[in-house]
Amino acid sequence: MAGSNCLLSLILWMPIVGVLGVLLMPKDKTTWIKAWALINTVITFALTLVLYAKFDQTQAGMQNAFNVSIPWISQFNIFYRLGVDGISLPMVLLTGLLFMLCILSSWTQIKKSIKAYFALLLLLQTCVFGVFFALDFFLFYVYWEVMLIPMFFLIGVWGGENREYAAVKFFLYTFFGSILMLVGIVALYFATNQSVDSFNILALSGGKFSQLNVHMFGQTLSFSKLFFIFMFIGFAIKVPVFPFHTWLPHAHVQAPTAISVILAGVLLKMGTYGFLRIAFPIFPDSAKYFSTAIAWLGLINVIYGALCAMAQTDVKKLIAYSSVSHMGFVMLGLSAMTVQGLNGAVLQMFNHGTSTAMMFFMIGLLYERSHHRWIVKPDGSRGYGGLYTQLPVYSIIFIIGMFASMGLPGMSGFISEALIFLGIYQKFTTITVLALFGLLIGAAYLLWMFKRMFFGDVNPEIKGYEDMTKLEITYMIPLCVAVILFGIWPSPILNMMKASVGQLASLLATF
Amino acid sequence: MHLNYLANIGRYIPEILLTILMVGLILLETTYKEDEKNRRYIFITAIIGLVATFAALLANMGGKAEAIFSNAIVIDDFSTLLKMVMVLGTIGAVYLSRFSRDVYESLKTEFVIMAIGILIGGFLLASANNMLTFYLGIETLSILSYVMASLKKNDERSSEAGLKYALYGGISAGLMLFGMSHIFGVIGTIQFTGIAKMVPTLSPVQIAILMPSFLLFFAGIGYKIASVPFHMWSPDVYEGSPTPVTTFFAIVPKLAGIAGLVRITAIFFAVDSPLKIGWVGLMIVISALTMTVGNVTAIGQKSVKRMLAYSSISHAGIMLAGLIVMNNVGIRAVVFYAITYVFMTLVAFYIVSIVQDKYGNDNFDRFSGLIYRYPFMAVMMTVVMFSLTGLPPLAGFVAKYNIIQSLINTRNYSLAVVLGLNSVVSAYYYLKIVRIMVLKPQENNETIEGFGFLNQMVIVVMTIPVFTLGIFWETVMSWAGNAKLFIQ
Repeated sequence: MAGSNCLLSLILWMPIVGVLGVLLMPKDKTTWIKAWALINTVITFALTLVLYAKFDQTQAGMQNAFNVSIPWISQFNIFYRLGVDGISLPMVLLTGLLFMLCILSSWTQIKKSIKAYFALLLLLQTCVFGVFFALDFFLFYVYWEVMLIPMFFLIGVWGGENREYAAVKFFLYTFFGSILMLVGIVALYFATNQSVDSFNILALSGGKFSQLNVHMFGQTLSFSKLFFIFMFIGFAIKVPVFPFHTWLPHAHVQAPTAISVILAGVLLKMGTYGFLRIAFPIFPDSAKYFSTAIAWLGLINVIYGALCAMAQTDVKKLIAYSSVSHMGFVMLGLSAMTVQGLNGAVLQMFNHGTSTAMMFFMIGLLYERSHHRWIVKPDGSRGYGGLYTQLPVYSIIFIIGMFASMGLPGMSGFISEALIFLGIYQKFTTITVLALFGLLIGAAYLLWMFKRMFFGDVNPEIKGYEDMTKLEITYMIPLCVAVILFGIWPSPILNMMKASVGQLASLLATF
Repeated sequence: MHLNYLANIGRYIPEILLTILMVGLILLETTYKEDEKNRRYIFITAIIGLVATFAALLANMGGKAEAIFSNAIVIDDFSTLLKMVMVLGTIGAVYLSRFSRDVYESLKTEFVIMAIGILIGGFLLASANNMLTFYLGIETLSILSYVMASLKKNDERSSEAGLKYALYGGISAGLMLFGMSHIFGVIGTIQFTGIAKMVPTLSPVQIAILMPSFLLFFAGIGYKIASVPFHMWSPDVYEGSPTPVTTFFAIVPKLAGIAGLVRITAIFFAVDSPLKIGWVGLMIVISALTMTVGNVTAIGQKSVKRMLAYSSISHAGIMLAGLIVMNNVGIRAVVFYAITYVFMTLVAFYIVSIVQDKYGNDNFDRFSGLIYRYPFMAVMMTVVMFSLTGLPPLAGFVAKYNIIQSLINTRNYSLAVVLGLNSVVSAYYYLKIVRIMVLKPQENNETIEGFGFLNQMVIVVMTIPVFTLGIFWETVMSWAGNAKLFIQ
């Protein structure tokens, strides 16, 4: 199967081909640049669909048909190792889809330095694919870190008024986390005696380090627990788990629409993906040991994020905090470490990706028209009001996104949240009950926002807003379909991940 | 004996070449009329001479390591590789001085001559195998440096820099000499290996005397590499000196000092003794302090040159961290770090120098919106800043990664974490310049003459290793790994 073998590399490097193309084009031919970027992402998305078609859903773990393993720095046993399993595949599909839609959304919204913007966006896509495909720890780290560079510029150059602060804060937070992760990676390298498999994520998995000790800061500590904490902080900053979440509202509010979508839709999932791929399989004993703590942190995320969201008057910030709350559900699902819990977590990662992406797209569209995002302006007057009568199509799509995000039965969010609750109920009953309040608050802040923006008297300011254009409707349709379809019929995604998640759950169950 | 003395003179060709070059340039400079044409010839001669030295060093690489001049000088791959790196740095600084306006036209030849003189001192230091040669190296390096720092004769800050450098240098050289005489008094030899042989046989009283002596010894070299607490001179000197001089100072004396320190550490403290424990403990503290103080102080700086001065202090701290490991993995990491450091430093200082020549100062706002005027240069500077921060896939990341790796290999987890956290701190000020170049709006449309096509090409060529060493570092890594110390 030579064809399948290079499929992952093809998906991974396709956006780089796009970057090179963009760089070669003259600066003023903006339509060419956009069209090229669009074609490129469409091809990439098509390739991810090919991957989905070829993917064997019954097989657990990495699928040999797609694996790539080429020595990179053989002196240090660093390999170019790629692979895909049921946990990464939904994320890969999501990445392919969202980047394609983001190019469409940026089509009219980005006005300055178009060439650089599309080049950086495509570079970002390669890094994201790299994180989801990499099976070599060093390679994983490289992609994880390189991603900071395009993100820094995408927020810093094309963002809102306070963009520099947001970009630097995002950069420093993530960089801090990944440095701790790097120390953990190197420690693992030596714990396995620098063998050929020292950077092989799969070979490191399985709880081989539960008996090791390490001397640090003048004390003898458990190797596994110490480096689990290091990795945990690295990934938790990305998720973001309370108390590491403070970069997120700034980054989201300042980032341009498409970047907010990518950030919420894909980048946050890299954190939870890190838990599933790295922290849990490599240190299952410590994951078990800390599961209660993880659950409580998840609960704080759910409740605290929701309460913060409720207090916001900036609608984008509100959605940003709702992301914190929803990622809390993922953390809850992870902490359960049962089949349902983990399935729910992965499904929630996918569903949150589609529903939040929708919300951010919609807010971006509104911002295009009004040039502000206040539900209530700082002077106390209404920012919007009566949008429903003015923008009917917009309102309907907004409602679909909002209900999906809220977790209304029949929409995608519901299934995943239900699975998560099923998973954790037996283990953490109190936390389950408390987390249910998070759902309630979630419904409250979304509906309250909706009421203030869409109902009531028509605010004179909003008269003359144009309803959605054909282009805008076009790129919202796939997401509408996704949130409704996977709400009624989640099995395509559940089947994809079932075998791999089951394998992880049974590994965790042995500790 | 007499014949034996000159037996391996062939290995000493690079140093001899440099000396001939220096003396020849002095003669040329004094003989011919001082005008632009002659200056150009001297410049070309210097570059050719330096390239020839580089070639001679290259020919020396991989040869049998040996000690020459009655064991006073050691020629091994380690010293040769670091000498090559120093020559590269010198070529970079000499080329920069050619078009920099910070050096008076009439003094450009003097700059070149002094740079070559300092380089000879650096060579001596990197090869020194007894305390006398070591001291000779340090002094050759230092005395010319004092003059070089005050090269901008009419500028107050430059004179201040020279004086400060001389005062600090004099005191630390005195301390070092004092420490050396103690060591000689206790052990009775100036040969490094002779001292090392005696170390295990010492009585507790002798060790008690030697501990402070080594501390004094370290003072001399610590000052040369600007490690905390001997770093105070460095920001003032770096800021006050003309930029090509600063570039040169950030590379040659620093790397020469590191090379000397690696050698004495590897020789003196190879065997377990209370001295070794004390030395390693001292080095851990000094390395952590150097990194942290350098980085934290860099944050508040308004002048880019001064910021780079502080950042170079922190990089010296990182190289010291590799030294603590005391095995070949650590030395390999240090050598690799030195190689990447040269390229990153050169690119950063070239761009700073060119912008400074245009505006007369190098405050951060001079860089604002550089990307709109000189996109290529801004991108190169950005790459170098990210590399200095330690982001993959750039050379700076691999360099830092290897230091961290060697630290963790020897269970120095705490220092590895300190190093990592320092990278985060450094990210703040490196990002500051990226932020100003890229995110700030364009203020004016002025052209900067220094960014001619040729100079842009030179900068791009110097940035290429920063990329390639970040992705394909295996070859250079194995060079660094083969650059073993020869201990005799």
